[in-house]
Amino acid sequence: MSKKRILWVGSFYLIAIVISLIWLFPLFIAGTTAFKSMSEVVQDVYWWNLPDNFTFKYFLEAWNQGGMSRYFLNSFIITVPSVIGALFFSALGGFALAKYRFKYNKLILGIFIAGNMIPFQMMMFPVFRISNLIGLYDTYLAVILFHISFQMGFCIFFLRNFIRTIPTDLLDAARVDGSSEFRIFLQIVLPLTKPALAALGILEFTWIWNDYLWGLVLLASDNLRPVTVGLVSLQGEYLSKWNIISAGSLIAAAVPLIVFLLFQRYFIQGLMMGASK
Amino acid sequence: MKRLTSSFVVTLLVISFIMGISLATLGAEKKVVINSYMADPAPKETLKQLVAEFEEANPDYAVTINTYPHEDYKTLIRTWLPSKKASPDIVTWFAGERANTFVDKGLMMPLDDIWGEGKSFEDYFPRAFKSISQFEGETYFLPQSWYWWGFWYRKSVFNELNLEEPITWNQFLDVCKELKENDYTPITIGSKFRWTAAGWFDYLNLRVNGADFHMKLMKGEVSYDSEKVRKVFEHWKELIDKGYFIENHSSYSWQEGAKFLFNKEAGMYLMGQFIQDVVSDEKIKEDLGFFRFPIIDASVPIAEETPTDGYMIPKNAPHPEAAKKFMHFLATRDAQWFFAKKLNRIAANKNIEPENYDPMVQKGLQMINRSDKVTQFYDRDTKPAMADKAMDQFVKFMAKPGQIDQILRSLEAERKKVFE
Amino acid sequence: MNKRKFAPFKFLLIPVILYAIWVIAPIFYTIFLSFTQWDGLTAPTFIGLGNYVDLLNDPTFYTALFNNIKWLFIYVLVPLPLGLVFALFFNRKLPGVKIFKTAIYLPLTLSFVVLSQIWTWIYQPKYGAINVTLKALGLGELTVAWLSNSDIVTYSLIVVGCWPQTAYTMVLFLAGLQNVPTEVMEAAKVDGANKWQRFWKVILPLLKPATIIAVAVTIIQSLRMFAIVNVMTRGGPFRSSEVLANYMYVEGFKNYSMGYASTLAVVLFLIILLFVFIYLYQIFKTEVEY
Repeated sequence: MSKKRILWVGSFYLIAIVISLIWLFPLFIAGTTAFKSMSEVVQDVYWWNLPDNFTFKYFLEAWNQGGMSRYFLNSFIITVPSVIGALFFSALGGFALAKYRFKYNKLILGIFIAGNMIPFQMMMFPVFRISNLIGLYDTYLAVILFHISFQMGFCIFFLRNFIRTIPTDLLDAARVDGSSEFRIFLQIVLPLTKPALAALGILEFTWIWNDYLWGLVLLASDNLRPVTVGLVSLQGEYLSKWNIISAGSLIAAAVPLIVFLLFQRYFIQGLMMGASK
Repeated sequence: MKRLTSSFVVTLLVISFIMGISLATLGAEKKVVINSYMADPAPKETLKQLVAEFEEANPDYAVTINTYPHEDYKTLIRTWLPSKKASPDIVTWFAGERANTFVDKGLMMPLDDIWGEGKSFEDYFPRAFKSISQFEGETYFLPQSWYWWGFWYRKSVFNELNLEEPITWNQFLDVCKELKENDYTPITIGSKFRWTAAGWFDYLNLRVNGADFHMKLMKGEVSYDSEKVRKVFEHWKELIDKGYFIENHSSYSWQEGAKFLFNKEAGMYLMGQFIQDVVSDEKIKEDLGFFRFPIIDASVPIAEETPTDGYMIPKNAPHPEAAKKFMHFLATRDAQWFFAKKLNRIAANKNIEPENYDPMVQKGLQMINRSDKVTQFYDRDTKPAMADKAMDQFVKFMAKPGQIDQILRSLEAERKKVFE
Repeated sequence: MNKRKFAPFKFLLIPVILYAIWVIAPIFYTIFLSFTQWDGLTAPTFIGLGNYVDLLNDPTFYTALFNNIKWLFIYVLVPLPLGLVFALFFNRKLPGVKIFKTAIYLPLTLSFVVLSQIWTWIYQPKYGAINVTLKALGLGELTVAWLSNSDIVTYSLIVVGCWPQTAYTMVLFLAGLQNVPTEVMEAAKVDGANKWQRFWKVILPLLKPATIIAVAVTIIQSLRMFAIVNVMTRGGPFRSSEVLANYMYVEGFKNYSMGYASTLAVVLFLIILLFVFIYLYQIFKTEVEY
């Protein structure tokens, strides 16, 4: 490695570390608060002081008192099918809008994009009524179907733009080989869209996991509700206990973080594929 | 890709399985569903215990409680009430104008047949509760408990400075002055969610103009842009101008405001009895005392705020008979006493002897008994749209006390818009 | 050939049905309500354009609109380019770079409730991290009540929003960068293009699909902003930090004016539509036919 290269890499790490530290400052506060006892939090106003002893007591208390295990399971039951459903149907729709020429193509795309722009709080009443009418109120399916539908607006827009960059020659070549259109979608389009699907999957997972409103509007039974609703009741219960609220918040945030870590590799994969050719 | 599709199918199967199981458990014969806003741990637990007691005495009944965070509850109740399928059997709610809003729209069920043979509302509750529970001659609201408001302070601080509980406005001003001179902020408040400021307006108006005028104002019958209302703000301004309120109070929730009282930075807090719910330290709890909002004009009959909470049955309740049975249970002396005792509230049931209560509760009860009139609270006595706009003006006034004229004009404009 | 003709309709069938039921129908319902007076409980009464006239005379509407414009400008000027910078900077094959990307991404994993709670603590006027730090540095005069000073509260809230929004745009740009094949970069290097030239001539055009999306969502997010305002200030003090989505929520669900709230929603919807569609029209106009 040349001297210049070492210097360059060194300064990259230095800058990256400084940026990350500044960037994570608010989380640092939440993190240390979760380890501090309340008397430390109240009496010691200096945030840069580390907790006296690192104890996971408050994490445990948040987990047990907040009844988080049940809420966690619910969040998974809601989030996983919602994300898969939204991605799958949006990829189909996005493919149709990106690679086929037909009348009203742009209009349909426009409607999908436009639907995503409504301030969704406004949809509380109608969506509640529709779920009720179909008999889905107070079931997981009500929340899942709504998430899939609403998120499709953004996902179709997103995937359509990425699928457009796939060379049409590739598809035509498969057609010559006699592949059906759906086969082309499964065997050519989906694999080539992987980095985009990974990014979208990460974002969608995070949003749906963090949704609060619809879990509350469409579910009545406490044993069906997602972790965000649990967190808000935790906030209600431990108003003055910042450490427990912090701990609960960090536990809830851990899952989307893990998903990001898992899917991140697809970001690099694209580059590596290019490099190895 | 095949894996993705098959995992999707599997998830759907799992979901339908779970749904199937949950449907199977819905078989219990006499079901009651309560939607409740009691999300704080103490009241939540108390209601749960009451339900357990009821189920033990009536084994063929199954009562489910769905708890919602307080603020969201107030929003969501309007989705359930008109719905035939999603309506609960019982809702927790507030007495007075807020209850009347729903009754008025025909969304609630009368409770006239829950009292038992030959008995009526008055066998359970004092006459005074009729006005907040009965609308157009029929009972719709079942009162559970109520609480009082007052100035809360630390006994140890008052002892240290040799202060006495003030009775008149001038004595109150002296206490503020004394506190300020000794480096305490005389009055704390957390006005982020605004209603704490409405408490101030209510009490000043009750003391300056009396309850009759106050209720007229709440019902939109008299103007805000008047000398009478101006006088209310002028009293308030005196305290603000002297710097008696804590700084930056609109950054704090009411609980954060209370912290300044608990850690002795501030001297007094105008607040409901439920301030006791948020004290975690027993020593501080014992050190808390309260006194009546001081008298400003001795010729004005004393009135107090007594917000009352309770239950209603929606018109669309799927199991009204079972719900009524449970409501009857909630009205009984034992159930009411159980709830009140646990939470230091005052039960609505009249058959509980005052001596049973904790000394502090007795003091609150006496304070109310000696008063001439009671009101609920600003946002429970007036229309919601008026309350929303007015509370903004109250907070604005506390930040910009010089703008009384503009504020009175905006309040009056809003009253006209809402009531005319 | 026939098969190919029908394929897009088969693919679009389920998405369109789901979208029509759960999204489009509620939007039409909202538009219908905007011409009515409705308390959310009894039957709505038709009042024509009454709500729209009220809107024009409502000072809070203008405050909220102006604040939304502040959100929009700052969102376009800060998180959008910053996300691109982070994506370019961290898109390298060096050990440990994943950790940095994860660090930048972290704020987005927090739910808005949690995010708002953390920043409420940081902004707390007496013990909050910012004011404590300022005092410790001897800059006590600079301490401000970040959330109760009506002149700066909106900016305090926008800072909170920029934090996860930057992470959001970074992910979009990172995904877009995977479309930039390494050969292209190498070829450009061989051709002797310098860094800037490579950025403007090679990378940016290839980032186009990601950029289109990033700009569109930045506009949508800034104008639709609700959660941070609702949790941290509820539009206060005295409506100074109000935004349209929160104002709509308060009017509809707290003040029982669903008709007026629907009007606010429709107007907000149209404003977003205007911004996003003018932008997309410009882009799609130049799209090559395929």
